Amino acid sequence: MTPAKRSAVRRLLAAAALCTGAGAGAAPASYVLDPERSFVHFEVVHFGTSTIRGRFGPAQGSVLLDPGARRAEADVRVATASVDTGVRPFDARLRRDDLLASEAHPEAFFVARQARFDGERLAELRGEFTMRGVSQPLTLRALHFACRADAAGEVCGGDFEAELLRSSIGATFGLPFIADRVRLLVQVEGRRR
Amino acid sequence: MRRLAPWVLALAAGAAGAQSGTPAQGPAAGGLPVYTLDPTHTFVSFEIRPAGLSTARGRFDRKQGRVAFDRAARRGEVEIEVATASVSTGVPAFDALLRGESLLASERHPTARFVGERFDFEGDRVSAVAGTLTLRGRTQPLTLRATRFACYANPLFQREVCGGDFEAPLRHRDFGIAAPAGVPEEVRLVVQVEAIRQ
Repeated sequence: MTPAKRSAVRRLLAAAALCTGAGAGAAPASYVLDPERSFVHFEVVHFGTSTIRGRFGPAQGSVLLDPGARRAEADVRVATASVDTGVRPFDARLRRDDLLASEAHPEAFFVARQARFDGERLAELRGEFTMRGVSQPLTLRALHFACRADAAGEVCGGDFEAELLRSSIGATFGLPFIADRVRLLVQVEGRRR
Repeated sequence: MRRLAPWVLALAAGAAGAQSGTPAQGPAAGGLPVYTLDPTHTFVSFEIRPAGLSTARGRFDRKQGRVAFDRAARRGEVEIEVATASVSTGVPAFDALLRGESLLASERHPTARFVGERFDFEGDRVSAVAGTLTLRGRTQPLTLRATRFACYANPLFQREVCGGDFEAPLRHRDFGIAAPAGVPEEVRLVVQVEAIRQ
């Protein structure tokens, strides 16, 4: 290895150390969700045959991370009228009273005050999900989660998933032809304040 | 079920209109039964994790195509075309970036097309469709693997509908797309499709 290469490797290692250090710092840090990289997608199976997908967003909110203390809190919300499946008549149908009821319940939100960590990596957020005015416990499992340093500071983010039965919140239209089980895919990135 | 009818039928009528330009009427070449794509349940999407943090998802909103399919004879042909400019990620600035010359080059290459000519079966389910993808003017082999497949009697259309979920990894380099620094080599293509027997 040439001295120039060695120095480049050293710089990279230093950056990597800074990067993990930032996410695993001793002090709790708070992050604001990036509206260009924070969306909630849903998947529901149609006639047992194919998967209907749609997205809500951008998601708004903030996250508090304290990996040293294995503590995390999250507040995330989306406008229910922002639903977008790629088919406008579907979107309009989804906003009606027997599904999202967007007029009566313009926001869906997730409030987590408990978390599980694998080592210092965030593995689960446990909290309460409210949609259509009905609140219920929900656990978001992290498929992956990481933090990295960039020129503007630090960004943390990942993908989370959860499942719910839409009948449990009274969104019953189309059952059982359109499945009760809904898979939520939550894509979030937050910038450190 | 009756409550479903009015709006779904309205969508189906819209779908028929959207398909009127396609040549998929009457029996297909080779005598296979013809199916019309249901554009309300047919989507080409993709997933990519650009910076190793969260997964970005996008979808092509304008598409058309045709399917000829014979379950008993275990044969099929499919053609799906999307308008590259109809890419939708939920972030207009990303959409504009994706349409640009270095990525989808939508102005020079307004459509991307998958032509599937070999249907593989497991039992009476389609397990994969092999063919070619033409993207950005380049044609490469592509096999879509089924993660789900079924046929059912649709009570609204009073017709058989066949469809499923398919996916394939796609290396953008194969299509002359240079990934910006930090962007993974592969995109995951995710395809939902349902087609109505004519």
